[in-house]
Amino acid sequence: MATKFAVILGFLLFSLGFFGLLARRNMITILLSLELLFAAAGINFVTFSNLHQNFEGQIFTIFLIVVAAGEAAIGIGLLIALFKVKKTANVDSANSMRG
Amino acid sequence: MIVLIVLVSVLIALFSIMVVSLKHPISSAISLLAGFLLLAVFYLLYGAEFVAAVQVLVYAGGIMVLYLMGVMFTDNEWIKITRQTHLQAWLALVLILVFFGYFGHKLYHSEYPAPAMQKAQTAVVKKSEAENKLPYLNRETNPRTVSVRLFSDYIYPFEVASVLLTVAVVGGVFLAKKEV
Repeated sequence: MATKFAVILGFLLFSLGFFGLLARRNMITILLSLELLFAAAGINFVTFSNLHQNFEGQIFTIFLIVVAAGEAAIGIGLLIALFKVKKTANVDSANSMRG
Repeated sequence: MIVLIVLVSVLIALFSIMVVSLKHPISSAISLLAGFLLLAVFYLLYGAEFVAAVQVLVYAGGIMVLYLMGVMFTDNEWIKITRQTHLQAWLALVLILVFFGYFGHKLYHSEYPAPAMQKAQTAVVKKSEAENKLPYLNRETNPRTVSVRLFSDYIYPFEVASVLLTVAVVGGVFLAKKEV
């Protein structure tokens, strides 16, 4: 019962993050939606670690957080690069190949 | 126990909806911060104490500060005057609702059988189910076990993760510093 509940919650978070990724125009909000996708994966790892009574899921969640930290650093770097070129955080403005 | 899980999950879902629906990125970031703190409580309830601590320290403490700095660096004028969603947002909403409905139905009607466990473990699980609690992984203390596994069985991924973080930091600085 608890496992099923957590799996549904993880899938809800995945759907919401996917929706934010498709629908929003602000690059910061898009990156935050990406964090929701990471959180969904983490929920699934921890839930099945609990169900199977072993620690692999928790260790993979720690690696997941490491990857999320790297993704955040690269994302903020891209955001600042976009803002330098276009003076806005709107991703629709990045529609040409050079400049 | 199950009441607490339901409460925390509903709050996580609400904050996640706020992340994708609120207009200003700072509102979204603070909602995500609250969601991550509740997610740490969720991890605690599912017996992952060390992951919960890392979640608070790294996500809520480190990554969210990065995003708030990103908000600080960018302009806030166009947020007030223009739409924050694409024209494709309605299409995306319909798509996601269908996606969530179909696969959520599948997930709800699936079985999640526990694997064959040793006798002692099964007894522990039975006991905690009788007391309406989740089976904890407290045969040893959780942070000790996780770190022993991390430094013995998973030492190569651990080292590769350090290289990945270095590359990410150098790449982020390079992208942000580049003259245009």
